[in-house]
Amino acid sequence: MKALNVALAAKLLWRNWRSGEVKILTSALVLAVAVVTAIAVFSSRMDQSLIRQSNTYLAADRVISSRLAIPETWQTQPNSYDLQQTRVTEFSSMVFASKDDVDEMHLASVKAVGDLYPLRGQLEVSDIAFALGDDISIAQSVPEPGEVWVDSRLLPLMNIDLGDTLAVGDKSFNVSKIVIREPDTTASFSMLGPRVLMNQKDLEDTGVIQPGSRVTYRWLIAGEESNLQQFEQWLTPQLGEHYRFRTIKNSQRNISSALDRGTRFLMLAAVIGVLLASVAIAIAAQQFSRRHVDQVALLKSLGASARLVRLLYFMQMLILGVIAAIVGVLAGEFIQRAIASSIESLFAIELVSATWSAYATGWLTGLLCLLCFALPPLWHLPKVSPLKILRRELAVAGVSVWIKGLLGVAAIIALIGFYSGDSFITLSIVGGFSVVVLLGGLLALIMLRYSHQMGSRAGSYWRLALTNLERYRTQSIMQILVFACALMLLMVLYAIRTSLIEEWRLQLPDDAPNHFVMNIAPYEVNEVEQLFADNQLVPSPLYPMVLGRISALNEVIFTQEDRQRSNSLRRELNLSWAESIAPDNQLLEGQWWDSWQSTTGLPGVSVEVEEAKEIGLSLGDVITFSLGGIELKAEVASFRSVDWNAMRPNFFFLFSPGTLDNYSANFLTSVFIPAEQKPFVNTLLRQHPTIVIIEVDRIIERIRSIVEQVGRGIELVLWLVLLGGVMVLIAAVNASMANRMQETGLLRALGSGRALILRSLAIEFAVLGLLAGVLGVLGAEVLLMGLQWMVFEGDIYPHYELWAAGPILGALFIGALGVISCRRVVSVPPNLVLREIES
Amino acid sequence: MINARNISKSVNTAEGPLTILDNIDLSVSDGESLAIVGASGSGKSTLLGILAGLDIPSSGEMVLAGKSLTSMDEEGRAAVRAESVGFVFQSFQLLPGLNALENVMLPLELHGVAQAEEKARGYLERVGLSHRLYHYPKQLSGGEQQRVAVARAFASEPEILFADEPTGNLDSATGAHIIELIFALNAEQGTTLVLVTHEERLAQRCSRKITLDAGKCIDTDEVSMDSPAEVATGA
Repeated sequence: MKALNVALAAKLLWRNWRSGEVKILTSALVLAVAVVTAIAVFSSRMDQSLIRQSNTYLAADRVISSRLAIPETWQTQPNSYDLQQTRVTEFSSMVFASKDDVDEMHLASVKAVGDLYPLRGQLEVSDIAFALGDDISIAQSVPEPGEVWVDSRLLPLMNIDLGDTLAVGDKSFNVSKIVIREPDTTASFSMLGPRVLMNQKDLEDTGVIQPGSRVTYRWLIAGEESNLQQFEQWLTPQLGEHYRFRTIKNSQRNISSALDRGTRFLMLAAVIGVLLASVAIAIAAQQFSRRHVDQVALLKSLGASARLVRLLYFMQMLILGVIAAIVGVLAGEFIQRAIASSIESLFAIELVSATWSAYATGWLTGLLCLLCFALPPLWHLPKVSPLKILRRELAVAGVSVWIKGLLGVAAIIALIGFYSGDSFITLSIVGGFSVVVLLGGLLALIMLRYSHQMGSRAGSYWRLALTNLERYRTQSIMQILVFACALMLLMVLYAIRTSLIEEWRLQLPDDAPNHFVMNIAPYEVNEVEQLFADNQLVPSPLYPMVLGRISALNEVIFTQEDRQRSNSLRRELNLSWAESIAPDNQLLEGQWWDSWQSTTGLPGVSVEVEEAKEIGLSLGDVITFSLGGIELKAEVASFRSVDWNAMRPNFFFLFSPGTLDNYSANFLTSVFIPAEQKPFVNTLLRQHPTIVIIEVDRIIERIRSIVEQVGRGIELVLWLVLLGGVMVLIAAVNASMANRMQETGLLRALGSGRALILRSLAIEFAVLGLLAGVLGVLGAEVLLMGLQWMVFEGDIYPHYELWAAGPILGALFIGALGVISCRRVVSVPPNLVLREIES
Repeated sequence: MINARNISKSVNTAEGPLTILDNIDLSVSDGESLAIVGASGSGKSTLLGILAGLDIPSSGEMVLAGKSLTSMDEEGRAAVRAESVGFVFQSFQLLPGLNALENVMLPLELHGVAQAEEKARGYLERVGLSHRLYHYPKQLSGGEQQRVAVARAFASEPEILFADEPTGNLDSATGAHIIELIFALNAEQGTTLVLVTHEERLAQRCSRKITLDAGKCIDTDEVSMDSPAEVATGA
């Protein structure tokens, strides 16, 4: 019997499909699944590819770093998770060389690496100091034991050449290559000395590392993401306070912020796509249900029980869901491939394949949408009385609008929550919807009444159109609300995409500083500035930088435990002063120097807000600094936020002008060096070998390319979501088609011309679109406020372009859609139209 | 076959309770044909609905094919309908998305009848529509649609056929054709027939007729057999 029912349900479904009754429902379902699959799979691929690429800046996928050596017992674990591992040990040490009976020594940043280093990215080396272009090659291994590779600038500093000997601690090494670029340079930002790269196996022989030495141990891990996650789960509980896990997300803030916002946008787009498709599904299911009341009454008069009817419809929906989900996943896969290939060809990157969970997400979405949006409108069908077959006027007790509404809202919250995992996104979208539905319903009512009054004074087309709107008031309001929700979601997505891309562009303008020049001695300042000027380069202002430690707060000396709590209390800090607040800094609390009054008579210090929180500072606190053994006290005058993405010198602690005058300072600046002027870096280093240059041009380039990739993906996804919007509009227009056909059929039969009908239809839909546009903009502003404030952390401002475009585009687009959908009514003879409605 | 005792039906309206049927007593034997006549609003269709188990009376007892419908729930009544009842309606009630053949197959498929398609083809042939098997309702004339409905009603070989104004939407000649068809198949299958009509002449074709007026049975007649053509054309 059950097999028979499945076969019968399949047969009924096929007949319903053939007659076009489930086409919109199916299309909406397929679209929901396709949108989610495409976005989920594409985001997953892009996210993984970008992380994989960005991980080159860590030289690994995960890094565990510590001042303590990595326990031997841990080091057997990566193998059991099928992961690669290698070790890096970094420390500052004096290096010695002797040539022509002249002894030279210099403080160098030594890095001892394991054989597999780097696990991600490439180590660039050369046989020529200060090499450029083709003289640079990719290292295929690390230095052999007994060899070191060194920074170009070490050669002039130590007066040596390649092939000479360099001593690190107790061991002498042959200088065999020049290190041009390491993938993880920025990981050792605080290491100011020139690089000496050696093999890990030589480390012990140098005898440099003694108990108490300042050493950074880094344990590099790479492999499949799922294995990495398992490994992370195993390791995290054992890390304790001395070991830190580093991923690209927590160590490269600027890259990860571009990535995060991009993925958040894509996720939001997926949510919006699903919402649009869900609305289309709900409308299509409602229409399907209305059309099937007679069919159910007939089936029941033929002896079908309510149970059988329920089973037949449930089966139909289930079969439809499974097929639509399969087709949707395939369509989604096709779409994401198209998007991915356009990106791959544009940016010459290879995207890694997606995780299976991304496909499962798409598939589950289809079933979830079906369950939440298609089944409720069909729920009452089995309860249709068989008597309806004799008495058509019998009312059908459907599921109450309130229950359906509540179910819909619950389903929407569940769906958004499921995709975003973010309560603010959920709240913002629910807020936006509430505004449109509650305020919108009321406004629509008022506007309809007003337009009706206007209509009664207007010409015949207008009168016909506006009277129609008023006559089917409930239907008109529902349509306005549906159109408004669709327009709202599309406008929100468009506005966020525009502002994201704009923000990214502003954040990293073409001339954003791409090199940090550090460790400039006071006597070098003039020469360096002259050198910049000679080369037409404009650096940021030179900031003095004094190294110091924090020793006490409000005269209370920090204990060992306090120092364990905060990294800033353990390490040396870069301190500076500034006359005015930098444009990428924002004063959050307290006063800047021009209006600040010291309460203690001490000089003031402005502290970066996150740093202040970590240490536990309040305004007016007195901090004691130790600067090369000399004590300096300062009063906390203000807290600042700092945009670390701006690629300009920024400091956690900025003193009032004059405070640091008596302390020996080095200077720091950042400068934009165009690609064609790259050799300038070598000129600067040749003339001033103690200067440290940190090249962030590659990072900036990478961020730009990520932003462009994400931006391109976003644009393509926007089109996909737009398709969802069109689907909603078509579904909503179709839902009112029967009434319209009957009316226009009658009007035609009574002799109305094509022009009158088409024009009044155009006006009717355009007015609907206009009102929906106005409401959509209102909802979009509310939603955007929430999203900008809580999710994208951008500025809140009114979107005037939407106020203009929303209503106009709404009127034009929905007007055109209405006319196109109804055009058949005027081209088919009226008797056919009327007969079709009867049957 | 049909036994209705003291059947009353009333509904609540804004102006108070409204009685649609008032103490109707009626029984129909196997193979008998009964016409229910009366003016519009006299309660004919309501009575038909109750007799066929589509509706329940407010009071009274209703027995159909030996089973008491009044003590059953909707599921039970559906089972009785499935087993014993066929319908022909004034507005044909064909499903617009199904072609003629599929419309006739529907009840057979619903009841799990083997070779539903062959059987449906056979009945469509007998109503003269073998050339219209794959036409959809909107491609058929009113008469053709009603012939499909007749084929559908007889295809499941019911014990009782209920027809609600079967010629109400048809012109006289076509109506006569349909009546001829219904009575011919009825005779062939020995079906009990209950027919609602407001056409006196069509009622004459049945072996018995009752007349309703304002929900009351005001007249019960044994009727003589006229020719169907005369009835339908009103000649």
